[in-house]
Amino acid sequence: MKVRLSADLLTGLLFVALGGFAIVYGSRYAPGTAARMGPGYFPMLVSGGLTLIGIVLVVRSLLATGDALGAIGWRPLVLVLAGVLAFGLLIDRLGLLAAGIALVVAARLADREFRWLEAALLAVGLTLAAAGVFLYGLGLR
Amino acid sequence: MDVLANLGLGFSVALAPMNLLYGFLGVLLGTVIGVLPGLGPVATISILLPFTFSLQPQAALIMLAGIYYGAQYGGSTTAILVNLPGESSSVVTAIDGHQMARQGKAGLALATAALASFLAGSFATFVIALAAPALAEVALQFGPADYFSLMVFGLVGAVILAHGSVLKAVGMILVGMLLGMIGIDVNTSVPRFTFGVPQFGDGIDFAVIAMGIFGIGETILNLERTGAARTYVQAVKSLWPKLRELRAMLPPACRGTLLGSALGILPGGGPVLASFSAYALEKKVSAKPERFGQGAIEGVAGPEAANNGAAQTSFIPLLTLGLPANAVMALMIGALMMHGLHPGPQLMRDKPELFWGLVASMWTGNLMLVILNLPLVGIWARLLTLPYRFLYPAILLICAIGVYSINNSALDVLVATVFGFVGYLLYRLNCEPAPLLLGFILGPLIEENLRRALVISQGDPSVFVQRPISCTFLALTAVLIVVLAAPAIRSGRERVFRET
Repeated sequence: MKVRLSADLLTGLLFVALGGFAIVYGSRYAPGTAARMGPGYFPMLVSGGLTLIGIVLVVRSLLATGDALGAIGWRPLVLVLAGVLAFGLLIDRLGLLAAGIALVVAARLADREFRWLEAALLAVGLTLAAAGVFLYGLGLR
Repeated sequence: MDVLANLGLGFSVALAPMNLLYGFLGVLLGTVIGVLPGLGPVATISILLPFTFSLQPQAALIMLAGIYYGAQYGGSTTAILVNLPGESSSVVTAIDGHQMARQGKAGLALATAALASFLAGSFATFVIALAAPALAEVALQFGPADYFSLMVFGLVGAVILAHGSVLKAVGMILVGMLLGMIGIDVNTSVPRFTFGVPQFGDGIDFAVIAMGIFGIGETILNLERTGAARTYVQAVKSLWPKLRELRAMLPPACRGTLLGSALGILPGGGPVLASFSAYALEKKVSAKPERFGQGAIEGVAGPEAANNGAAQTSFIPLLTLGLPANAVMALMIGALMMHGLHPGPQLMRDKPELFWGLVASMWTGNLMLVILNLPLVGIWARLLTLPYRFLYPAILLICAIGVYSINNSALDVLVATVFGFVGYLLYRLNCEPAPLLLGFILGPLIEENLRRALVISQGDPSVFVQRPISCTFLALTAVLIVVLAAPAIRSGRERVFRET
C-alpha cells in the first residue's frame, strides 16, 4: 500500500512525536495524586491527549484522502530563518548594526530578484533607522 | 455604581493628554503596519508588542487597544484597495469592497468601512459599560472548580467557532499548553521541560512565540506564495459619501453592529465569525441578493460594523472573567500579565480607573480612527504601492529587534527563529496557530484551577458537577460538543466559512 504524505498525516505524526516525547521526558516529574498533584500530573494528561489526537489524525488520514502537501519554497524558508538566526548570534558580539545588516541582506537573498547594491543600501538604511527609533526614540535597551 | 459615573471616571483617564497621545500612537502604528499586505491584527499586535512594554500599564493597554483597532481598519483598507485581506476578518470586506474599488468607488468603500466601524465601536463601548459590571459581579463568586469549567468551555467554544479541522485545533491547544508548562512549576518549584537551560526557568515569553509565528512565519509564507512582486492598487477619489449613500449604508451598519456586538462576547467569537455572519445576514435580507459580489455597499457596511463591534465586545469576557475569546485577546491577556496585571473580576474592583479608562479609550480610539483615516487614506494607499521587497526586510528587522529588546536576550531571538519555522510549518499543515496561543495562555490557569479545585475536594472529581456554576459551564460545553457532532449544523458551519 502506498501512503500519500498529506497534511493531516504529517500533522498527526508530529502530534504523536511531540506528545510521546513529552510523556517520556515528563515521566521524571512526580505525578502525585489528584488531591495533591505533583509537577507531572497535568503534563501527563496533556501529552497523553496530544498523542491520542495524533493517532486519530494518522488513522483518519490513511482512510481518507486529505489535502496534499504543496511544494516547499526552500529559498525563503532557509534564508529568512538564517537571517533571524544570524541576528540572534551577532547582536551580543558585534552589536545592532552588524546584526541588522546581516538580517536584511539574508532576507533580501530570500527573494529571487536580488541586487547587491540595493540590498546593501536597504540594509544600512533600515538598520540605521531602526537603531534611531529603538535606541534613541523609544529608549528600549 | 452607576454607568455614567463609571464612564465619567473612564473619560477623565482616557482624555488625559498622555493617554490620548498613546492611544493616537497606537491607532497610527496599528494602521501603518496593519495596512501592509499579509499582516492581520494578530501579526500587527505581535510585532508592535515590545513598543508597549516600557510604558505604564494604563498607557500600554490603551495603546494596545488602539493598535488593535488601527490594525483592523488597516486590514480593511488593504482588502478594499488591493484585494489582499490580511486576516480572515477582512476576507469578507474584500469581496464587495474590492469590487466597489474597481468601479471607481474606492473612496466610498473606505468611508463606508470607517463610518460603519465607528457606529459599531460607539455602540459596543456602551454594551461593555453596561454588561461588564454585572458580569464581574457574578464572576466574583467563582471558585477554582468554576474557573476550570469556564476555561474548558471557552476553549471548546474557540475550537468550534474557529474554522478548519476541529481535531487539529484541539491538538494545537494541547501543544500550546505543553509550551506553557516550560518553566518552574509554581506549586512545587520543580523546573519542567527546561532542558537544563536556566533562562527557560521563567518560561518562554508569549511575545517571542507570537512574533516568531505571526511575524517571521507569515513573512516566509508571503514570500513563498507571491515572491516580492506587487499588485496594482486602486486609486482613491472622492472620499465623502453622499446623503443617498449614507442612507444605503445605515441599515446594514446597524444590523452588523447588533450582530457583531452579540457574537463578540462568545468564546471563540470575535471579528472573524461576526463579519462572516453579517455578510450572510445581509445577503439574506437583501431584496437583490445577486448584487452581492458585484460591489454591494451593504456587503461592506454590515461586515465592517460587525467585525468592529465584535472586536470590542470580545474584551468583555477578557476583562470580567479573564477568559480570552480569541488570539487577539490572548495577546492582550499576555501583555497585561507582563505588566503584572491579572484580568478578571478583581481588576474592575481594584483598578477601576484602569478598567474604565480602557473602556472610554475604546470610544476615543474609534473616533481617532475616523479622523485619522478619512483624510489620510491617500497616504495609506501610497504605502500599499511600496514594493514588498522593501517592506518585508523591515518587518523582520522590527521583529528581531523587538524580540531582543524584551529581555535583552539573544537566546530569545534564537527561540523566535524556531517559532518562525514552527509558524511556517503550521500554515503549510493547515493548522490554525491561534488555538496554540490560547492554549499557551490558558494552560497554566487551567492547571492551577484544576489543582486548587481538587485540593479543596480532596481529590473528588465530582466537585465539577456539584457546584452549580461549574456544572452549568460543563453542561454548556456538552451542548457545544453535541452541536458540533450534529451533521446539519456541521455543514452549516462549513457553509458559513466557505461560501461567503
